[in-house]
Amino acid sequence: MIIHLKSGKVFDPTNKIFNKEKDIFIKNGKIIDRSDFNEKVDRVINCKDKIVMPGAIDLHTHIGGGKVNIARLMLEEFHIEDHDRFDSSAIIAPSTFKTGLKYIEMGYTTCFEPALLPINARQAHSEMADIPFIDKGGYALLGNDDYFLELLRKKASQPVINDYVAFILKATQSIGIKVVNPGGINAFKFNQRALNVDEKSKYYNITPRDIISKLSKAIYDLGVPHPLHVHCSNLGIPGNFLSTIKTIKAANGLPIHLTHIQFQSYGNNGDKRFSSAAVEISEYLNKIDNLTCDVGQIMFGQTVTMSGDSMSQHRNRKHAHPNKWMCMDIECDAGCGVVPFKYSDKSFVNALQWAIGLEIFLLAEDPWKVFLTTDHPNGAPFTSYPHLIKLLMDKSFRNDILHQLPKEILKHTILHTLKREYTLNEIAIMTRAAPAKILGLDKKGNLSNGSDADITIYDKKENDIEKMFSHPIFVIKDGHVVVENGKIKKYIWGKTHTVKPEYDASIEKSLDKFFNKYHTMKLENYIIEDEEMNTLIGNEIIVNKCKYKRKQ
Amino acid sequence: MLMAEHIKNNNPKSLVCPFCPLHCDDIVVSTNNEKFSLPNANNINCGKRIESFNINKRSLLVPRIKNIETTVSSALNKTKKEIIKNKEMLVLNHGTDMSGVRSMLNFASHHNAIIDHVNSKFLHQNIGVVQRTGYMATSLMEVKNRADLILIFGNDILDKTPRLLDKIFLSSNSLWTKNSKKEIILIGAFSSSTVAKIKKKCSVTNIKIKLNLIPEFLNAIDNCKMNKDLKISNNVIIRISKIIQKAKYMVATWSASDFVKTSNAEIIINSIAKFIVEINNYRRAACLPISGSLGDATSSQVLTWTTGFPSRLKYLNGSFNHDKNSFNGMELIKNKNIELVIHINSLSMNKLELNSKLMNIVIGHPNSKFSSMPDIFIPIGIPGIDHKGIMFRTDNVVSVHLKKIRDVKLPTLKYIFDGLI
Repeated sequence: MIIHLKSGKVFDPTNKIFNKEKDIFIKNGKIIDRSDFNEKVDRVINCKDKIVMPGAIDLHTHIGGGKVNIARLMLEEFHIEDHDRFDSSAIIAPSTFKTGLKYIEMGYTTCFEPALLPINARQAHSEMADIPFIDKGGYALLGNDDYFLELLRKKASQPVINDYVAFILKATQSIGIKVVNPGGINAFKFNQRALNVDEKSKYYNITPRDIISKLSKAIYDLGVPHPLHVHCSNLGIPGNFLSTIKTIKAANGLPIHLTHIQFQSYGNNGDKRFSSAAVEISEYLNKIDNLTCDVGQIMFGQTVTMSGDSMSQHRNRKHAHPNKWMCMDIECDAGCGVVPFKYSDKSFVNALQWAIGLEIFLLAEDPWKVFLTTDHPNGAPFTSYPHLIKLLMDKSFRNDILHQLPKEILKHTILHTLKREYTLNEIAIMTRAAPAKILGLDKKGNLSNGSDADITIYDKKENDIEKMFSHPIFVIKDGHVVVENGKIKKYIWGKTHTVKPEYDASIEKSLDKFFNKYHTMKLENYIIEDEEMNTLIGNEIIVNKCKYKRKQ
Repeated sequence: MLMAEHIKNNNPKSLVCPFCPLHCDDIVVSTNNEKFSLPNANNINCGKRIESFNINKRSLLVPRIKNIETTVSSALNKTKKEIIKNKEMLVLNHGTDMSGVRSMLNFASHHNAIIDHVNSKFLHQNIGVVQRTGYMATSLMEVKNRADLILIFGNDILDKTPRLLDKIFLSSNSLWTKNSKKEIILIGAFSSSTVAKIKKKCSVTNIKIKLNLIPEFLNAIDNCKMNKDLKISNNVIIRISKIIQKAKYMVATWSASDFVKTSNAEIIINSIAKFIVEINNYRRAACLPISGSLGDATSSQVLTWTTGFPSRLKYLNGSFNHDKNSFNGMELIKNKNIELVIHINSLSMNKLELNSKLMNIVIGHPNSKFSSMPDIFIPIGIPGIDHKGIMFRTDNVVSVHLKKIRDVKLPTLKYIFDGLI
């Protein structure tokens, strides 16, 4: 079947096409050139007065895995309040079904779970397999697992560490590696309550800097496209911008991606010992080429925070709203913490958090380096993205809200002085082209011939940008029209993106010994094989290429 | 014959056990035609239980309608007719794997059925803590390697999960805690043989109190002060308090079904969770609830991610709705507020209690037992024995990949449910 998208105003930043009238043809799930087929066109979609963009990509959203399910279970009362036509699960902790429906309704076609615990990977993939429409993938968590920390303590060589990292990527069917509070989750199990970037953990005698340095080098050596995805030390603590800067330096100039950087850009000036350090952080973002980030914008209202960072989440338990929380130590692998939270527009701290996130967006000189996220659901549910886009594109809308917030924040933010308004080009970059590039997805985030036909079509006549981004007219996924006139037309199931760099299989001998002695399952049962992914879990796998052949 | 030789001669296979919430994957079985045996069954005290799932003379390998043998397609046709004829339908889960739960949901969404698990009552007691206050949890590997003090509440937990002691609590391989330096405190009426067995490996104390007094006991430990109802000396309370203060990583474990005879099960579980939460203000401690053996964790995990709720659901008006009381399967059966019950039994050797005044369909493994013969019986394979599958362990964070070890050509639950849509 051939679909012709006729005369749309196309935004395709990868091909440097901005607001240009263009026809697009689709065949067998791919974008093709007019000269590549002779058959008659089966369907013409008139895109006159429509904006055509590649399907959006969310590179950091908690959509599957143990902590997400704990949140669903914990927040039953919100489910019942949030009943809509899909199911009664709350949007702060939606069911897999609702997750897919809400994402596709907004024109998002690919999403990545950023905290896939290796031991919990089977569950995370099983949950994601039950999310309709979207393609997905996960970043495996390392840097707090006892096997890795023991390697570091024994001063294992970089190639051995590279082998372990590559093994984990393969065994867990992941596309990247994330480190959360490097070493801190592990230290918490030994009753340490904080771990600064240059502080040694009591048991392993290793610093977070050591961990960042080794893991970022491993990702670089292996040629994994997505840089080390880092949740820094001291999340949410006033004055933590210094930890963030030290973490940047720990990568020694190698590529690194700092996630939900809003939570890592806090100063400790002023009466309340809480201030914005967005300017300081933005200077680093703007001057270091290899550095990217996603923001983790907060929005006012009820949500639930969920993180592998059990050390921070245990500290945050006193802010729980409603007053309940859960933390867990997990399999000498990692941890997790789930704390419901309500961001209040009356709170000085929450209002300033809101302003800090926007400052980071607006101070970023290069939209290819800063990605639009709310760290769903930690800052806000992903359904608030259209509102966030309006905040970035409409200065007066932004300032109207700012002036309703506690006045004292104006002493600690420069937001009211920032006149920048994002353009549609820049939104297309930060929600499509840039995340595809940083993840190495060359068939996504662009409208090149041969790319996946994941396309979102918006109504150009809609004056309210928030409404426009909330309800695209058409969404096409893998060449299927799945949303038409804002309504779901067809159910399809996406694929799982992975990366599988080569490694010396002798690492498995050492791992086998460790598993047999200290683990509670055998190594062979820990590994998720392709066949299990395809048949039992139910996810078709796409193996994406590494950037180059392994260096070490 | 050496054990290794015996295994070699009989086509040894590794079993990932589906029958208890530990889901051990280090069990070697040998197979001879469709019969499997555990050469080292004497060393694994759950061996006989696993072997009881072997096909025997009384196994029902062929579908039956009104106890008369029939084909799978006839049984499916008859079941479809009954589904159309009866208005209110319950699917009661006595244990299945992830694929089984997924297919059950799919079936329920096509026929507006109610779904419940036979152990929901106990599930809700543990979930209640998460939904009211939350708590600090841990997983099996953390306990194996880190726990230097283990508080075991209840009395049947070690029988329900036979390898918990040897494989996890008192494993000879641990990264940080030697057995000789561990302490186990048993709270409840434990047998002298259990106490003696533990004593061989580590220090053990049995606090013999009635289970309903657990909150008072923990309160006494907290305040380091005796409560006369407990009938324990102040010296014991002080000694236990000191052991707890000394511990680097304490674990509290229980099975909610152990508290079935108390009138305050939820209060007991709350008190344990609160006790552990408070210890974490200064030191490390965590809870390890032990779930049931009938795929309880698997059912609650899959239902939760698919619908937002762990059990007691009904598909209505295009979505799954949850009501803890209205969709209580056992009550619906008891009060005959349902017309048709489909019992799913891939794992249980318990006798299924059927209300003979209702239409009963059992989709179960060949050795299923019933209080009375169901109207329709359709045999299915056992995940982990007859087909591959995925199940969740008691700690709810680890899921295992079940293997196939015999070939008796039984359909999967998914195959049957797909045939009913």
